[in-house]
Amino acid sequence: MTEELLAEPETSGKQLAGKELAITGFGVLSGLGIGPDALVDALTRPPEPVDVSGMFTEPLPRPDAHVLVDFHAAEHLGRKGTSFLDRGTAFGLLACRDALADAGMAEPDRARTGVVLGTTAGSLKSTSDYSRDTLTEERPYHVNPVLFPNAVMNGIAGQAAIRFGLRGLNATIAGGPLALLQALRYTGVALATGRAEVMLAGAVEEFSPQAAWSVQHAQRRAGGTLPAGEGAAVFLVEDAAAVRARGGRPDACVLSVTCSGSAASPGPAGTTDRLRECLRAALDQAGASAAQVRTVALGTDGTPWLDDAEETAVRQVLGAGAARLGTTQVTGVAGSASGAFPLAALLARHRAEPARDGELSVLSTRSADGSVAAAVVRGWSRAGGDHG
Amino acid sequence: MPAAITGRAMLTCLGDLESTFAALADGRTGVGPLRYGLPDKLNVLAGYHIGTSSAEGPAQATGWLTHCVSAALRDAGVDPGTSRVNVVVGTGLRELRTVEHGHLDGTQVTGNQLHFRRAVRAAVPGVREVHTLAGACAASGYALALAMDMLELGEADAVVAAGCDAMTESMLAIIGRVGERPADMVRPFDTARGGAQLGEGAVAVVLQAGATERAYGLVRGVGLTCDAKHETAPDQNGIVAAMRDAYARAGLGPERIDLVLAHGTGTALNDPTEAAALAEVFGADGPTVTGIKGAIGHTSGSAALMSTLVALETIREKAVPPVVGLRTPIEEARSLRLVHPERPVTQVTEVAQVNAFGFGGVNAVTIVQAPQRPGRGDG
Repeated sequence: MTEELLAEPETSGKQLAGKELAITGFGVLSGLGIGPDALVDALTRPPEPVDVSGMFTEPLPRPDAHVLVDFHAAEHLGRKGTSFLDRGTAFGLLACRDALADAGMAEPDRARTGVVLGTTAGSLKSTSDYSRDTLTEERPYHVNPVLFPNAVMNGIAGQAAIRFGLRGLNATIAGGPLALLQALRYTGVALATGRAEVMLAGAVEEFSPQAAWSVQHAQRRAGGTLPAGEGAAVFLVEDAAAVRARGGRPDACVLSVTCSGSAASPGPAGTTDRLRECLRAALDQAGASAAQVRTVALGTDGTPWLDDAEETAVRQVLGAGAARLGTTQVTGVAGSASGAFPLAALLARHRAEPARDGELSVLSTRSADGSVAAAVVRGWSRAGGDHG
Repeated sequence: MPAAITGRAMLTCLGDLESTFAALADGRTGVGPLRYGLPDKLNVLAGYHIGTSSAEGPAQATGWLTHCVSAALRDAGVDPGTSRVNVVVGTGLRELRTVEHGHLDGTQVTGNQLHFRRAVRAAVPGVREVHTLAGACAASGYALALAMDMLELGEADAVVAAGCDAMTESMLAIIGRVGERPADMVRPFDTARGGAQLGEGAVAVVLQAGATERAYGLVRGVGLTCDAKHETAPDQNGIVAAMRDAYARAGLGPERIDLVLAHGTGTALNDPTEAAALAEVFGADGPTVTGIKGAIGHTSGSAALMSTLVALETIREKAVPPVVGLRTPIEEARSLRLVHPERPVTQVTEVAQVNAFGFGGVNAVTIVQAPQRPGRGDG
């Protein structure tokens, strides 16, 4: 009882210290394809997972997943420096490049631009391969040294900095499905304390036998049946006031981000209670009412108890009126990227449907460990509307 | 805005903070035979392990971390039940050692165990946000920076910045791959340095806004940059930029720095680059420079905060630990006032700088200051 009370999310004060975050571009890719259109199409025409049985020599738990089977980094990023990139790093670089281009920011102020990326386990494949080579190769110097930058946990963010010359702070947040909202939270702090003027914030996850087995175990344990997925979504974030001051038009404004959780009761009831409080705090900090929210993007991951706990909290705070948008059914279970696809889907839909200009959406996220996070976002198309 | 360190806890191969500092001051090292994996195949024979048992417990990094976070909050007298407390953990490898065990013996591990949200909340019920930053060997410096920023923005009454790391066989393999012959210990800035050897452990500090009477010291500022140059090789420009960012945030210049706790990994690439960066910033007559990795190993995600606590102990004890393992300084470090093990240094230190640089080109430089005690001449 006491712990329940103590675990309430903070509700006092502006979470982002008065800084409203503007998203001025984004890049996304998933098993559905590269770019936002594929994501929007999939929401109305859910695709089947594809055959992945020929991708790896190692055994896979099931023959299908939502992945880019024929993805070759060099086709998208050029041949230079791409021959030894693992999938996750290539995805991350592609999403960062597209976010910069989408924002029309080919040359950001490099010293003032930072990167924060979410991950679940870095490249589990690279780490595992490296460990295995160590044990199976005759001498340690037979281990391929070009693999090892990939095995560094924060390697993707580091590679993004190298490729795009980003010398601001450079962080990797290990948070699984919550990592994107944690990255946005971090971004808010970084902009407010003058550590950066521009931030690339996103999340990345690669498909591999290791990841597929991890998803399979988690799904089976919780009674879910979804296959694994992969991809990345990266958002270019700036201070909204600064964007407006230069006459820019945000694609979306993040009005609030709240993160909370408790280990005391990670089960269904505890998760519902905490998410309810978290959603209320997010609305409160955004100065928004439940009635104004048109869409709630859910963290749905196919595990029945967690999906039910989330829906219950959402219903209690936002009622049944707000439309539900879930992406995991079409992207597969893709760890931290699964937490980023919903925001990409919201933005992609805004872009495709000008009638939604100015609509308010809520992002809801939760994790099996009892942690929850929420954000309130207002989005626009690029065709018109009031971007202020 | 400076923040006060009001609570602290540390666990290294040399014990808790008190016994670690005592050993450091004596110039002792905690290095021993590597206990994990197959040392010959890994090409790594030495490690800086906690305790005396060769048996590994489950989820060691998590255990060391939660021990330190709880102890630091107790030390500060901060109750997460009545104060708004956030926790930021910096780590290089998180709980990946447990994943490796999973491969070997079927130990069950979930994605959520890889970061520390649930474990921290179980150890200190009532904390609000828990964030895990995977920032290689600058991770706890990044954690300290985020903790400072959260306080500056008034988002919490206290923030625990922490670090932890346990060795993984894959990281040991990387280390073994870098060196041709296995090194006996970390020898920072030594001409015959043989590369990094990993250290285990955890560390936590409780930060509160403003100067308080019972503070162990003040954090004046943390500078953060990314080299954007090379995945594993450090870059002098990036390191210097982080130092200058730290001075700007601390509101002081390099001439105010009395002591530098260097990153000093004993690797071929770090030491000359770091030495050159220090020489660039401080010029010919720079401050005293020391480093602790020869004594406690390269503790990766914990390294920045461990050096920060040692810097504050140095200020308090007026004794500067020597660079354990150093025999003959490299050419690039000749102009630095390195503390040689055979020539102890005692000095009054007011302001210290702590360097931490990680793979991925991430840099964190921290400026700490002696506690401010009104009415005392040495404050």
